Amino acid sequence: MIKRKEEKKVKGLKGEIQKGRGVDIGTVFVKCAQKESEEIAFRSQRNAFFEVEYTDFTKKILDNSKVKYIIKEDKLYVVGDEALQFANMFNKETRRPLSRGVISPTEKEALPMVELLIKSVVREPTYKGEIVYFSVPGEPLDADFNIIYHIKMIEGFLKTLGYTPKPINEGHAIVLSELAEEDFTGMGLSFGGGMVNVCLSFMSVPIFKFSVVKAGDWIDQQVAMAVDETASRVSAIKESSLDLSKEGNLSKIESALSIYYNHLIEYVIENIKQEFTKARRMSRIIKPITIVLSGGTSLPKGFSHRFKQILDQLKLPIPVGQARMATQPLRSVAKGALVAASADEGKK
Amino acid sequence: MALSGTEVDVINSVARLRQATKDQIRREVGFSLDYIGFLCRYLLRKGYLDFSGGYYSLTRVGIKTLLTEETPKIDQKLIKEIASEVAKEFSGELKKEVKRIKIPVTQIRQEVEKKPEEQIKIKTDFELPIEDESLALESNINKIGAKLEKEKSDIDKSVKLFKEIQKRGRKR
Repeated sequence: MIKRKEEKKVKGLKGEIQKGRGVDIGTVFVKCAQKESEEIAFRSQRNAFFEVEYTDFTKKILDNSKVKYIIKEDKLYVVGDEALQFANMFNKETRRPLSRGVISPTEKEALPMVELLIKSVVREPTYKGEIVYFSVPGEPLDADFNIIYHIKMIEGFLKTLGYTPKPINEGHAIVLSELAEEDFTGMGLSFGGGMVNVCLSFMSVPIFKFSVVKAGDWIDQQVAMAVDETASRVSAIKESSLDLSKEGNLSKIESALSIYYNHLIEYVIENIKQEFTKARRMSRIIKPITIVLSGGTSLPKGFSHRFKQILDQLKLPIPVGQARMATQPLRSVAKGALVAASADEGKK
Repeated sequence: MALSGTEVDVINSVARLRQATKDQIRREVGFSLDYIGFLCRYLLRKGYLDFSGGYYSLTRVGIKTLLTEETPKIDQKLIKEIASEVAKEFSGELKKEVKRIKIPVTQIRQEVEKKPEEQIKIKTDFELPIEDESLALESNINKIGAKLEKEKSDIDKSVKLFKEIQKRGRKR
């Protein structure tokens, strides 16, 4: 028995690395979770790039400043957090290899860029065929595209790297990460950049799952149009200082953000209500459920309070015990995917 | 134990379709395929459903359930339909009752055969040979590395519980 347990771990330079990985492939971040000894290591990259003029001098400056870049043919792209800073400096928008939760159809460089970012967080498998669960969005209710191509591309690439890839719905991953105490029964909501993903789960089995393409980016774009700013600048303010519990002395951008946050939350709750209507009845869930809020768009202070206020007004057809933030809203998807991967590795 | 609303929906749906795949039931009842599978396995284990060649059908217990008035919100029209099929196995009185009901076979067929395009389930899987296109890129990303954060692991309990629940689910 002890020997079998040992086989599941690999001695690394910095402690035991346990087999199985969870990857969150989001519109804004790519994040990989892996268990190392008694800790979980999260490696992440921001999914954004910004084109700058390519000269040897620029390249050298970026190298010296440890700014990440990619060179493709005669083009130089700053990648990651710094892309956002560059965009703000030049008063322009960043570009994204992922859009609305899937590989961007309009960005020519999207696929190699996504591959590079995934590779840098996932790295080499511990052994050939190691299980990796990667997050995928639910079918979008409000957009005319499906996610099959995206899933197959990511799956194929992870296979090329030597993994055994398995998709997991983003909302479901949140349930696995956050709702063990509730026997994995409840609702996981991921408010991301390109999508909001929802999954209602009973005893770890998804009852329904879906996504909507109004999300953080949509808020940025609407606010940018309303106040004549760039979406990148709105996004920077949203991520750094927005407080949704603030009631007075709001700047123009803060007011607009607050208005669109309200709109988004109501839109998501109404879509959840419609899913319940479609499914007609709720069986087996007798106890009030817990709703877990997660994702980068849920980070502003006061978000969960605002969500609860709107939920109280709109009401779901099943009793809700509590609506709370995930312990680590930016890590819960990757962590949930890791729970699934570790469980699968344990079965081998 | 009384059946819940969705479980009755599943039974109703199987009765309506006579024989139904998990996906057909999903389309009728709603919810995810996983959850419908979960309910079907439960109903199978409890003896309400039969499963053969990829299709679920009602067992005698399942049919009786439809005829029991205690079952919540059952489809009254469906009871009559089913009753007509099982009348031979029940009392003569029931036979008389059923005689009044006439359901054209074409109507049943139409119900089963509606939206043919939705009945197509993709079973093949195209193994996409993906080349690592990122090899063509020059970059310092691997040199700088990804942002690394660590937290104390609390997932062992979750992993254990998840495995247990999955195991129980498979038994169901």
